[in-house]
This record gives sequence, structure tokens and C-alpha cells, in this order.
Amino acid sequence: MTAEKKELGPEMVVCRDVQKWYGDFHVLKGIDVTVREGEVIVILGPSGSGKSTFIRCINRLEEHQQGQIIVDGTELTHDIRNIQEIRREVGMVFQQFNLFPHLTVLDNVTLAPINVRKWSREKAEEVAMRWLDRVGIPEQAAKFPGQLSGGQQQRVAIARALAMEPKILLFDEPTSALDPEMIKEVLDVMRDLAKQGYTIMAVTHEMGFAQSVADRVLFFDDGVIVEENTPAKFFTDPEEERTKLFLSQILNH
Amino acid sequence: MESNSTISKLISRLFDIRVLGIIAQVIGAIVVALTVSWFVGNVAGNLEALGEAQFICEDGSFSYRCAYDFMDSAAQFDVAETSFGMDYKNSDSYWRAIIVAAVNTIRITIYGCILTTLLGTLVGIARLSKNWLIANLSKWYVDIFRNTPLVLQLVFIYFSFFLALPSIKEAAASSNYVFLSNRGLNFPSLVPTVSFGVWAIFIAIGLILALVIWVVLGRREEKLGGTTNRALWAPAALTVPLIIGWFVASASSAGNQVMLVNDASGITGLENIPQVIAERFSVDVSELGGIRALADAGDIDQKTYKDSRLNVCAEKDSLEAANIDSELRALNLPYTIKRVKDADKAFKDFSDGKCDILVAEKGFIESEQLTLADTLTSSIVAIPESPIRLSLASLEGLNFAGGGKMTPEFAAILIALVLNTGANVGEVVRAGIQAVSKGQSEAARAIGLTESQRLRLIVLPQALRVIIPPLTSNYLNLAKNSTLAQIVAFPDFWTIMFTTVNQSGRAIQGMLLTMIFYLSLSLIISAFLNWYNTKVKLVER
Ligand SMILES: Nc1ncnc2c1ncn2[C@@H]1O[C@H](COP(=O)(O)OP(=O)(O)OP(=O)(O)O)[C@@H](O)[C@H]1O
Ligand SMILES: [Mg+2]
Repeated sequence: MTAEKKELGPEMVVCRDVQKWYGDFHVLKGIDVTVREGEVIVILGPSGSGKSTFIRCINRLEEHQQGQIIVDGTELTHDIRNIQEIRREVGMVFQQFNLFPHLTVLDNVTLAPINVRKWSREKAEEVAMRWLDRVGIPEQAAKFPGQLSGGQQQRVAIARALAMEPKILLFDEPTSALDPEMIKEVLDVMRDLAKQGYTIMAVTHEMGFAQSVADRVLFFDDGVIVEENTPAKFFTDPEEERTKLFLSQILNH
Repeated sequence: MESNSTISKLISRLFDIRVLGIIAQVIGAIVVALTVSWFVGNVAGNLEALGEAQFICEDGSFSYRCAYDFMDSAAQFDVAETSFGMDYKNSDSYWRAIIVAAVNTIRITIYGCILTTLLGTLVGIARLSKNWLIANLSKWYVDIFRNTPLVLQLVFIYFSFFLALPSIKEAAASSNYVFLSNRGLNFPSLVPTVSFGVWAIFIAIGLILALVIWVVLGRREEKLGGTTNRALWAPAALTVPLIIGWFVASASSAGNQVMLVNDASGITGLENIPQVIAERFSVDVSELGGIRALADAGDIDQKTYKDSRLNVCAEKDSLEAANIDSELRALNLPYTIKRVKDADKAFKDFSDGKCDILVAEKGFIESEQLTLADTLTSSIVAIPESPIRLSLASLEGLNFAGGGKMTPEFAAILIALVLNTGANVGEVVRAGIQAVSKGQSEAARAIGLTESQRLRLIVLPQALRVIIPPLTSNYLNLAKNSTLAQIVAFPDFWTIMFTTVNQSGRAIQGMLLTMIFYLSLSLIISAFLNWYNTKVKLVER
């Protein structure tokens, strides 16, 4: 592990007092976070603490009811143009892959560049093949998602997100639906992306990944950020009692 | 010992799925063969019992080959309505009657499938709406129409709705353009005139141009990226030839339409009609528009009004009637078009001096005018024409003339079929949309697709493959349920076939034809949807 500090760029995601309710249920109780360009943030926390909800608020898959979310200088409001603008700049990878089963792997990856970025098919396919190459499955381009293994599908999903050349990548437990031997292939891709300088916000239970790649760890519990720390400190010398309890529960398993 | 193991081997062989499969097929084949032979034997037996008279040939001999010869004789019953302008009179053969009825069934099926699809799609989407009222209204609709018998719905719609509607007179008094009465629905329609053919060429050019532009720009988008606004260019490419064509067709129509004018009326062309009529009423031309109201109010004597207004003779539902009607409507003067059943009758009325003007086909007028010379002086005057004329329904005597119409029988069976099948299709559509997981929409939004792109590129293609198989069976149900038309005496295939069988006593021939007809109809519908299904089908999964 290198201890050298990364050069951090301008603010990419700014969250101020973000609050959200599901009916009467208060899921997010005031989240304040700033993510700078090139930072890798890992979000940890017990089940039901609001990690997914928070990360899905950033590209408006969920709507926050109070506070501010500003992505790359654009504030998320009810203005559909702002929402579209932000979604173009934010890529997301889901736990369940969510590939489009009626399209080939290549078409999954080129769909957004062609229809949203308005690239020519030729250019979109060329770029898509580069990304499929990057995630290690160029030979699967003509297949349909249903014909791939879980790990391969998740790598296609990553390529699909990357093909839009997003400024920020969101991961919501990208390895939780995978068999152990496939987890590594996906984590390797993510590590690679982190090294390339992508701004990443990832919800994951992969402690190894958090320790080795993250710049900061956010620990969620019950809709608030209980602790925000560097991974080194977080895992060896956490400040909060709640964190210690959480860590002892996972690490003892 | 040894025989024991052979038996157990044999038994285990018997439970081999491959062997079981063969056994099942053999049993199946035997059952089918027995059923068919019983059926054939039964039919043959029945035919025998019915006697040779069933198979009488023209030359008086008897042969199975002459089973359908009776169909060539005159049907001698009326068919209450025909579709797509088909002709039928009761001296036509049974074949003709059956064909006209088959076309009626096909019309119901086509209209029914189209309307059902529209209604079902709307209802399916509405049921998923977050709006409480919309979601619940559509739920009640589905529940009511799925849980009551179609016969009941049909009888209700026909007897309690259509036959309870106001009479033609009342309907005409309460509305101007669309008339709903116990004789059905009358509405404005478009009538193509002679020059429509010229315009149609321009329409075709426009369509081809639009298609070419759409494809070429689409290729360009694929190749170079960016947008070319083809959704704007293509319609523009259609509109321009349409407009140019309209003027060209109108200009080329000179001389297509003529009217025969009774010279005694003083009319010399369309232009001086207002003066002539104004003089008859002794008013100023500008006051002509108000004459009708004065007559209705009783300020002008009805007889004077009827004699003084412009009287036109024409054949019912002819394009010439529609054409002159449009021109006269624009002149805003009191007029009436006496629509009679054919041109000869119209001409007779004209020669009897019952009208100022006769409109009919040019050739007809030119030849008939010659026979007129000694009784009445007349002249032929050209009138303008445009490719399409709007034809309004209006009360002429005891019935509506002009415009389009739908009989209560047709409307009732169509509406009942659409409402009933639409409820089922609504559920099919809802299930199809729900079958596409939420994750698909989330992924579509996350990569930046707009809502319409999400529906078009992600949700619909996946929903369709769930929707189409049950949709097919709903279409088939609609086609077969159209036989309920018999209840409201709409002359569909089954109704007419039933009459034919009753009248001719050829039950087996009739049933066989009925089976063949509905089987073919069903097979065509399924073939079409299967073809469509393979187009949207998923590879894998
Ligand atoms: N659509 C919803 N409607 C109501 N409650 C919801 C909804 N989605 C999530 N919740 C609730 O919000 C809380 C936070 O959910 P969230 O999915 O963000 O948790 P999480 O931290 O991602 O948990 P996990 O680690 O299990 O994924 C949970 O209690 C969940 O039950
Ligand atoms: Mg979660």
C-alpha cells in the first residue's frame, strides 16, 4: 500500500443535509459529503442503513426530499434537463447487473452512446469494443447476456456504464450476487478503474477492496454517517463505538 | 435367478424416458385414429340417412361431388347490410350471400382487433397508473366485463342502449354533424372524387420521398452520429407533394363535374345562383344565409320556402352529390339535395321540373340531355371539383343521406366484442409491462435514456414477447365470438350460414363450410402474430 496522497481535483459530488423519507420512515437523516474528482469512496454499514438509498439519490433513481445534491456543478432539481444532464455524467453498476436481455452484449454497451450521446454506430462500436477489451471479454460481444456467467455479466455492466464516459461511477454492491471465484475478476476491474483516476462511490462489503483502494470510508448506520475516515484508521483505530461493533461483527465471521 | 434379473432389466427398460415417450406417442396415435374413424363413420352414416337428395346433381344424378351444387341456386333471402360497398340482392346465389356475410365477419374482426388493441393498451397502462381514479376506473371496467357473460353485454348494449336511443327526427333536431339514433350512428365522411386519382399519385410520391429521406438520414445518423431531425424532415417531405398535388389535381379536374341546369331557373353557373335565389325570395344576396332561420320561425311560408330554395336532384351516396353539396354549403344559401336511389330516377325528377339542377356522371348527363330537348331547355355547366369532398349526413325524408353510417346491429356487436375482449387484453398488457423488472427501467435511466427511449428501446420489446402469445388467443376469441352477431341479427357468416342451412336442409355441408371458414380466419390471425412474435422474440432465456 502506498501512503502517498493523491492529487485531488475539484468537487464532483456535494451533498448537503440530504434527507429522505419512505412514507413515514426516515431513511436518510441528513447526509453531508463532498467527493472530489479522482476520489474513491467506499460506503459501509449494516443492512437497511440507507446505503443503497443514498447512492441511488445521486442519479435520481430515488428522490431526496430535503437538502441539496450537486453533481459536477449541476444541482439535482425537478428539472428534467438537469436530471438527464446528471445521468449522462454518472455511471451506475447494480448488484443484479440489470443488463438488457433482448440486446447483445455489444448493443447493451453501444445503446446509450448512440441514443444519448448521438455517436455514429461505427464510433460507438469501436469505443464499446475497447471497453469490452478493458474488462477482459471482447470475445463475448456478439452473445446475449443470458449466455454469460455472472462475473462476465457484471463486467459487461461496467463496460456499459463506462461507454458513456461518465465522470463519476456508482457501484451498489457489485459483487454481492457473484460466486467467490467471480468476485475477483470484477474487483480487479474496479481496482484498475480506481488506479486510472475515476471518481468512484462504491457500496461494498469487500473489506480488502476498501482497505487497499479507498481514499475514504463512510460508515452508515440508521440513515446517518456515523464515521468518516481513511481506511487505515477506520479498520485499525475507529473513532466510534458503533463502528467497532460493526467491524467486530464482520471480521469475526 | 437369471430370469429374475431379465425381468427387472425389462421393467427398468420400461421406465426409461425414451421408451415411455415412444409408448405415449403410440397410444396417442391410436386414440386419434379411433376418433377420426368414428367421426368419419358417423358423418357417412348421417349422410346416408339423409338420403341421396343431399347430393343431387344438375343432370338429376346423385354424387358426393355435387354436395355443394345447391349453393349456386338463388338464396331468396335478404342480407340486411354489406361491407365495403359490396352488392347483394336476394336473387343472388347462396355463394354470393355467404361471401358477403364472410366479408361482414372479416370487417368486424379487423375493426374489432384494432380497437381492442387500442383499448386494451390504454386500460393496461391505466391500471398501473399512480392516479387513484384512473387506476380504479380501469380496474372496475376490467372486473365488470371479465366477470359477466358476453351475451349479456351484447344484449344490453343492443336493446337497452341502441334501441332506446331517440328516433331519427329527434336526433337530427338535437345535433348537426354526428347523429346517434335508434337507427344507428351517422357521421361525416370523406368522399374521393374523380381527380382523387391524380392526387393519389402525389400522395404516393410524398410517401416514397418521406421514406427515402427517413432511411437516408437514419443511415447518416448511424454513420456520422449526431441528429439530423429526420422526424421533422420526413413529414415535411410528405406534406409538400400533398399540397402541390392538391392544387394540381383540382386544376386538372376541370370538366370532370358538370351539372344540368333547367334554363327556366335563370341559373347560368355556380356564380349566379345566389342572385337567382335572392330574387326568388326578394331579398338582398347578403341576407340569404338567414332565410332558413326565418322559414323555421314561420316568417316565411313553408311552401314558398320549399319552392324558392335551390333544389338539386342527385343519386343517393354518389360522389357528385357530395361534390355539389360542398360547393353549395360554401355559398351559404338555402338549398336541398333530393337524393334518390339511382341516376335515372334523379333525371326523371329533373325532367318533371322538380329541381333546378341535376348532378350526375358527365357521360350520363351528356347522353340524357339529348332526350330532353323538346320538353325542357337545359344547359350543361361545369362545376369545380377537389380530390376529396366532405360529405355530411343530413335528414332527407325519413332517413339520413350522405356521410358515413353504422347500423345499430353492427355497432352493438362491435362494441360488445371490443369492450369484452379489451378487458382481457388490458390484463395481458398489464402483465406484460409488469413482467419487465424494475431493474431494467433503472438501468435505462441510469445510462441516461429519456423516458420515451426507455419505453421504446427497453420496456416495450421485452413486454411484447410476454404479451403476444396471449394476445393471439384474445384475437382468436374475438373472431369466433363474432358469431354472437346472430343475437342482434347482424348478417355475419354464422347468421347467414344458419339461414342457408335452415332453408336448404344441407346441415353437414353448412357445418363443414363454417368450420373451414373460422379455421382459416383463426389460422391467418395466428400466422400473422406468430410471424410478428418471431421478430420480437428473445434469443436465449
Ligand atoms: N421503496 C421503498 N419503500 C419503503 N422502504 C424502503 C424502500 N426501499 C428501501 N426501503 C427501506 O429503507 C431502508 C434503507 O434501505 P437501503 O436499501 O438503502 O439499505 P441498504 O443500506 O442498502 O441495505 P443493504 O445492505 O441490505 O442493501 C431499509 O429499511 C428499507 O427497508
Ligand atoms: Mg443495498
